[in-house]
Amino acid sequence: MHSKQILRMVMACLAVVLMATLPAMAQMVDPNLKPYTPVAGVSGSLKSVGSDSMNNEMTLWAEGFLSFYPNVQIEIEGKGSSTAPVAMIAGTAQFGPMSRAMKAKEIDDFEKRYGYKPTALRTSIDMLAVYVNKDNPIKSLSLQQLDAIFSKGRRGGAGKDIRTWGDLGLTGEWANAPISIYGRNAASGTYGFFKENALFGGDFKDEVKEQPGSSSVVQGVARDKFGIGYSGIGYRTADVRVVALSPTATGTPVEASPENAYTGEYPLARFLYVYVNHRPGSQLDPLRREFVRYIFSRQGQEDVVKDGYYPVPALIAEEDLTTVGVQ
Amino acid sequence: MIPTAAKDKPLNDSPTNADPTAPQRRAQRSTSSLLAYGEPMLWLTGGALTICLVMIIGLLVLIFYQGVSTFWPAPLVQITTIEDRTFMGEVTREEIFAPAETVFTQLAPEVAEQARRTVAANDGTAHRWLVRIGNFELTGDHFNWFSDFMIRDERRPEWAVTVERLSWGRFYGIPAAFLVDGAVVVDTSAQAWQRYKAHHGEIRKRWRQRRHLETHAIGKLNRQEEAARLDMRTALLEHGPDSARYAAARERLETVQRKSEIETAQLREQINALNTENSRYQLRLVTADGQEKNLALEEIVRAFPANRLSVTEKTAIYLSRWWEFFTDDPREANSEGGVFPAIFGTVVMTLVMSLAVVPFGVLAALYLREYAKAGPLISAVRIAINNLAGVPSIVFGVFGLGFFCYFVGGTIDQLFFSAKLPSPTYGTGGILWASLTLALLTLPVVIVATEEALAAVPGSMREGSYACGASKWQTIKRIVLPRAMPGIMTGMILAMARGAGEVAPLMLVGAVKLAPELPVDGIFPFLHPERSFMHLGFHIFDLGFQSQNSEAAKPMVFTTTLLLIVIIASLNLGAVLLRNRLRKKFASGVF
Repeated sequence: MHSKQILRMVMACLAVVLMATLPAMAQMVDPNLKPYTPVAGVSGSLKSVGSDSMNNEMTLWAEGFLSFYPNVQIEIEGKGSSTAPVAMIAGTAQFGPMSRAMKAKEIDDFEKRYGYKPTALRTSIDMLAVYVNKDNPIKSLSLQQLDAIFSKGRRGGAGKDIRTWGDLGLTGEWANAPISIYGRNAASGTYGFFKENALFGGDFKDEVKEQPGSSSVVQGVARDKFGIGYSGIGYRTADVRVVALSPTATGTPVEASPENAYTGEYPLARFLYVYVNHRPGSQLDPLRREFVRYIFSRQGQEDVVKDGYYPVPALIAEEDLTTVGVQ
Repeated sequence: MIPTAAKDKPLNDSPTNADPTAPQRRAQRSTSSLLAYGEPMLWLTGGALTICLVMIIGLLVLIFYQGVSTFWPAPLVQITTIEDRTFMGEVTREEIFAPAETVFTQLAPEVAEQARRTVAANDGTAHRWLVRIGNFELTGDHFNWFSDFMIRDERRPEWAVTVERLSWGRFYGIPAAFLVDGAVVVDTSAQAWQRYKAHHGEIRKRWRQRRHLETHAIGKLNRQEEAARLDMRTALLEHGPDSARYAAARERLETVQRKSEIETAQLREQINALNTENSRYQLRLVTADGQEKNLALEEIVRAFPANRLSVTEKTAIYLSRWWEFFTDDPREANSEGGVFPAIFGTVVMTLVMSLAVVPFGVLAALYLREYAKAGPLISAVRIAINNLAGVPSIVFGVFGLGFFCYFVGGTIDQLFFSAKLPSPTYGTGGILWASLTLALLTLPVVIVATEEALAAVPGSMREGSYACGASKWQTIKRIVLPRAMPGIMTGMILAMARGAGEVAPLMLVGAVKLAPELPVDGIFPFLHPERSFMHLGFHIFDLGFQSQNSEAAKPMVFTTTLLLIVIIASLNLGAVLLRNRLRKKFASGVF
């Protein structure tokens, strides 16, 4: 919730500047971001354990970073955001990409081990998109409808359970077709974020087909004509359609477009974080420092666009670099 | 020889002993019981075999067809829709569907009317194509569906060019000009293409030269610095911050750093010179919807005018794509480029696994079969081994992670690599731990196969050996083991086949998405058993289920699967050849 407020504040002003016209993807990167310049004496190995949604993003950063320092060894593991805090506490990973913010309990565990809190870097912006099959005629959904489709308890306040596409007002062959629900497994940050924001904290139905990866959800919906699922916007393919979402039952539907992500109007916009183990006030070792600098450089943010997510503006980049002591 | 002859005898006897009236009697009985005649069982067994074969061959043919056709260069089509938008790309898939009414209501009224008519004329069904349109940085899409009622015009532009790039995926466009130092040199498609062909080779050569400088020359300096830093850390940990050794090590580190800074600067200069030279050349392409884009020649891996190619040129491109696939590192989050690190990782892991599992398995089987006295304990051990073969492989993965990585690896780190802590060296997944975990997984196969092979050695041979005064171990070494060797090799082949195709446990103990550094290389100490590695099986999983651009990754899944099958088959073939040689050696060595 907190992160969304920041999103709204920072983005609203930037959106006007950045999105005056719909630019080509490559021009979405803030021109105020500095291009990356390599420094001497960077070597060693890095390991990242965490989010599946950010798996490709981490790989792209690693590839970009390796083009400057070919001798650095980088290993990337992405089995879900919940694996990140565990690996960071055990010391097996230097970076923990997470598609949700750390929970209080995870921060506590970290603090117990190291005596200080982990540092979150807001590396990119994602819209958690709701996907349906490309032939599905549905126009838009409200969060309350989503809640009624996905959850058991309907905490969002929907009147009754939604089980068929007919319940959402579709006609013809769709009227009696049951909704086939795809979701992520519980280790995933996407699962946690969706539960928190679209299900208002309620529980998923038992019929949700839990998939091991973001891409599997999209592929499942692509094959299943009556399917619906949620995943990061970066995983969109031609076989699925992204449904516009409205925050309230009567509100106007908001398309999952870059402008709406930056203004914060899209109800399921979120930051994608990379957590680092950084003792406040200390210096990061050269390898991690340079990797963080790369993420927030122009090249690093172009990699974000390549993966289908949205880059952060220079303002956020500078702020987060300062928190880990990089000028 | 003797036991075989004795066995043969009753078999040979039965037909000669048969009553001449038997066929007649059987024929009579067959009218009463079809089952007794044996015909249904023949059909049942034959049918089962046929179904097995159809499934196996069907799977192989599917993988082979899909895998082999992926790299063939496809023609480019330019599509203009009835909404007057133009796209260009490769057709990858097609299907027939029945468009719903909502499809038309989204269109402009006059356009919708036309579309409705086309569909109605076609019995309410329509055809649609999935086209790879590329140009991701301009369009934000890699693929797009086009329905036939939406297409106004379709053509194959002569000069349409497919560009495979280092980043951003494919680009489709028509060459408009060639630029040197930002100035247009020529401005027709044919001439621009000529210039491109003339310059691309040398530019790629310079690019490779640059990569070499970065990896080898700068890499060496970086490693020296890292080694000096580690020495300093070790001195600090062992002798404390006030010791003379620590001071000396710190001074050494500073010297090394100063030296490497100067040398790095020189190398950077060379690299920059290469970069400046390379960035002078650009090819300007015009996309189907009229946008212009300048591509640096350095960024282009491969480009070809897809609609102008002869069969020979297509074959050349096809082969060069395969070559890239075999020998290059992956690019673009593994969805482009090659799989060399994965091939290497798979082969090394399988070989290390065989080296670990075969001696252990054979020794264990020898004890069980030759030394142990039969009893409830031995039976229990046998049952345990057989049960081990049925344990899900992911359980072995969990065990490997807990025991090898965290316990054994963690202890090794504490003892020998404390300077690097908290970054683990052996205390995390690596190729050694993965090999050992798979060795455990395949151990039952080797033990069971070896036991069978040992049991098949005739008792008379052992007795002969004892009669000559040989001890138990001499008999095993000289008589039993050579004779059982082919059977043991069979066990190894089965173990390798099982191990090379296993993925689930590897995800826990060391196989990762990206690890371009190989576990064996030219850098001291040459073998790096602690490194994570890429594995073809895991690569397939990653491409199929984790890839961002899953549509483009799909054909790569088949190609990689084909490659994995070929590698496993050739590893097995190698083992089979070895076994045949041993058999021959054995056959000539006896009698």
